[in-house]
Amino acid sequence: MKNAINKVRNIGISAHIDSGKTTLTERILFFTKRIHAIHDVKGKDGVGATMDSMDIEKERGITIASAATYCEWLGHEINIIDTPGHVDFTIEVERSLRVLDGAILILCAVGGVQSQSITVDQQMKRYNVPCIAFINKCDRSGANPFRVIDQLKEKLGHNAVTLQIPIGLEGDLEGVVDLVSMKAVYFDGANGEDVRIENIPQDLLQEALQRREDLIDEASMFSDQLTEAVLEEQEITQDMIISAVRMGTLTRKLTPVFMGSAYKNKGVQPLLDAVTKLLPCPYDVKNEALDMNNDETPVILSGELEKPLVALAFKLEEGQYGQLTYIRVYQGSLSKGDNIVNARNGKKIKVGRLVRMHADQMEDIETIPAGYIGALFGIDCASGDTFVGPGLNMTMTSMFVPEPVISLAIFPKDNASQINMSKALNRFSKEDPTFRIYVDDETKETIIEGMGELHLEVYVERMHREYTAEVTTGQPRVAYRETITRKGEFDYTHKKQTGGAGQYGRVAGYMEPVTETELVFENKIVGGKIPTQFIPSCEKGFRQCMKKGPKMEFPVTGIKVVINDGASHSVDSSDMAFMAAARGAFREGYFKAGPVTHEPIMKVAVETPSEFQGAVMGLLNQRRGIIVGSQDEGPLCVVEARVPLAEMFGFSTVLRSSTQGKAQFTMELGSYKQVPESIAQELAKKAETEKKGK
Amino acid sequence: MIKKELLLQNPLRFIGDETEDILPGGGFGAVLARAGVGKTALLVQLALHTLLKGKYVLHISLDDPVNKISLWYKEVFRHLTKSYDAKNTNKLWEDLLPHRFIMTFKVEGFSVPKLEERLTDLKEQNIFSPQMVLIDGFHFNESARTSLSEFKRLAKNHSLHVWFSVKTHRHEKHGPGGMPSSLSDVSDLFDIVIQLRPEGKKIHVMTLKGGPADSNRPALFLDPATMLVKDNS
Repeated sequence: MKNAINKVRNIGISAHIDSGKTTLTERILFFTKRIHAIHDVKGKDGVGATMDSMDIEKERGITIASAATYCEWLGHEINIIDTPGHVDFTIEVERSLRVLDGAILILCAVGGVQSQSITVDQQMKRYNVPCIAFINKCDRSGANPFRVIDQLKEKLGHNAVTLQIPIGLEGDLEGVVDLVSMKAVYFDGANGEDVRIENIPQDLLQEALQRREDLIDEASMFSDQLTEAVLEEQEITQDMIISAVRMGTLTRKLTPVFMGSAYKNKGVQPLLDAVTKLLPCPYDVKNEALDMNNDETPVILSGELEKPLVALAFKLEEGQYGQLTYIRVYQGSLSKGDNIVNARNGKKIKVGRLVRMHADQMEDIETIPAGYIGALFGIDCASGDTFVGPGLNMTMTSMFVPEPVISLAIFPKDNASQINMSKALNRFSKEDPTFRIYVDDETKETIIEGMGELHLEVYVERMHREYTAEVTTGQPRVAYRETITRKGEFDYTHKKQTGGAGQYGRVAGYMEPVTETELVFENKIVGGKIPTQFIPSCEKGFRQCMKKGPKMEFPVTGIKVVINDGASHSVDSSDMAFMAAARGAFREGYFKAGPVTHEPIMKVAVETPSEFQGAVMGLLNQRRGIIVGSQDEGPLCVVEARVPLAEMFGFSTVLRSSTQGKAQFTMELGSYKQVPESIAQELAKKAETEKKGK
Repeated sequence: MIKKELLLQNPLRFIGDETEDILPGGGFGAVLARAGVGKTALLVQLALHTLLKGKYVLHISLDDPVNKISLWYKEVFRHLTKSYDAKNTNKLWEDLLPHRFIMTFKVEGFSVPKLEERLTDLKEQNIFSPQMVLIDGFHFNESARTSLSEFKRLAKNHSLHVWFSVKTHRHEKHGPGGMPSSLSDVSDLFDIVIQLRPEGKKIHVMTLKGGPADSNRPALFLDPATMLVKDNS
């Protein structure tokens, strides 16, 4: 590696589905000579595009997991993180956004700013990722790049300014006019690899001059030098314009627009030039880590090579040679043979092989310096883990992992599927901390848990595609909880004398609600009414009851148990007997303590074009939702609400159909709240029928 | 009953008639102050007391996002109920929430017809029907009169009590009765105008217009620590 950090670009390519993201990436790799033939996404040669290494992606022509790939252009090293274009894979998207410094936002010249572009743009805004826009598919009939630029301004609120105009459109697309150099650029050769620069065709000259004027006008906002040159009517150099546009881009106050057609190999090389000239290098971007020794206070990472290592594992991939861990180094450098620490669990790791990835081929390297992206081989870790040099205790991501809110039983169809399923589950749970698995003790079913319906659906689909594990699923279940609302007393005697050794134990006391903890056990026994050696058994007995509540068999939380009286027998009392007594006591006290069921309430934010605001509110209202408010953001509007998770099943479909697919929603766990009486009764009825069915 | 006690504590009742709402239906009220003195805090208190009466409040903000407004409510509520058992106050808070609706607009995107459209939509779908409307961040400039008159019509039609926050400036000229110039042109539309004026460590709550003529009522102050209204100095 060349170690010139200002010549490194870590970029993502984000877009609406089918705007040609993967095709563009493919062309970039071709022109940077990383691949030597072009395979189209849905091409007839059956090879598929190089970036989509996962089968499901090749088949559907969409990209699910982000592969990182590396290429070089004009002496710059470019790492491309191919981000998923689907909203459903938000963990992937957000992780990729985290590691990239800049992005190319692809828009379709025909479709313009589509709903997905809006979501992707929102995500970039959230992570403050500077971007340049590329209007693709200018060769399609109905292409109108200037309409798209207007939409960029109106719908996304970007200060979009074009740096190019097309030469011909639709079937006649020949090339582009570069408004900075005021030259026409054509792309010759079988694959457009020969760039020919000519004078601007006469019929476009007037328009070019006009648009250049606009460009300089906008750019001068970001450079005093340029403003001065304009005012004093000096010569305006290309560098002046470029540096002004770069200033605007880095601060996200200006979005330079490029255009062409990746499929027809037009306009890709100028876009690559723009990546090197306009997008930030790692040094331009401020990265933060959380200091674990200091209550997770944010610390700014300097990016200096001499400092101790801080690196983030942002993606895992199970390849034929074992686990491949994609990492980005933020500070210090990572070399073969280094000892590093996984900040999550404190495990020390010796770095073995280091590689640089090019979709699914790799190249061995010696070291990964700060600002670079690479991959580690054979390291056991989870996605989102931070690696640090010895002596540091920092993390790039907060240690907070939300509890899953929904579960689903899965059943393998046959033995082979069973084996593949467990392989798949093992990997998924490593990749995604919010995805969990357990086996139900009673039913022996494998249960997967996650953050939403779609979240689990995607994994079931991937199991099928990637691991050929045929599985069927049960109904999704909401993670309800039980708790008590008032004090309840108990006095329970467990007595058994049916031949052999008897069992005897009496436990008395009370239970009361507490907040923010599962179970508090307090021993107030005096005078040895329950011998000390049996107290832990009592606690164990109570604890056993917490997993499955006596009322609805949901996990119980928020209970304080106090025991203050009891009795024992010199022969018949045993650990077993007191555990049984405690379980009985729990049941007795529990029903007196006003048990209730709590359900997860989700914080839902729906982003919709303003015209559908009313419809969206109606939808949320029907679902027992409380609408907190609505936020008007120009053409878009965000409705915030609190809705019970149980009511959110199938919401994405309903939302899509009632907003012409233009609205998106996100949800996360807000809190747990008591289920209304009518719903509680329904739940009880359902539990009853299920019991009978067993 | 925390609710009752909280209502009785309401120091703002001194401004108006003790039992009735301070404003008539369709009436306008304004809270004037310089930036950071406590306009929003006072509005939120007015809103909370209305919510406690079981009425519905629409809070419109032209500056802040929904989350920030939510936080204001939480904070003020927390201060108000500090002396009560957390479990009961949580329950009360949960009960109040469905009665509140926050709408935020960008200043340039806000207009009365737009608001009316939204309101009708909410009412028709039976989602929300406010009795009180708070408008935080409205710009009182030259064109304000037109939109305020439109607003008046809307408020009368729906019988709303509307409160505005009005940001004043240090160098602003004052008209008769201490009314700042930004409001003096439109003051005829307002039934009550309250000004918050920092005096030493306290913030004095003064009525510039409206309110009962009784001069014996105690002076009101905002406690700068909690931004809550106190009824004695």
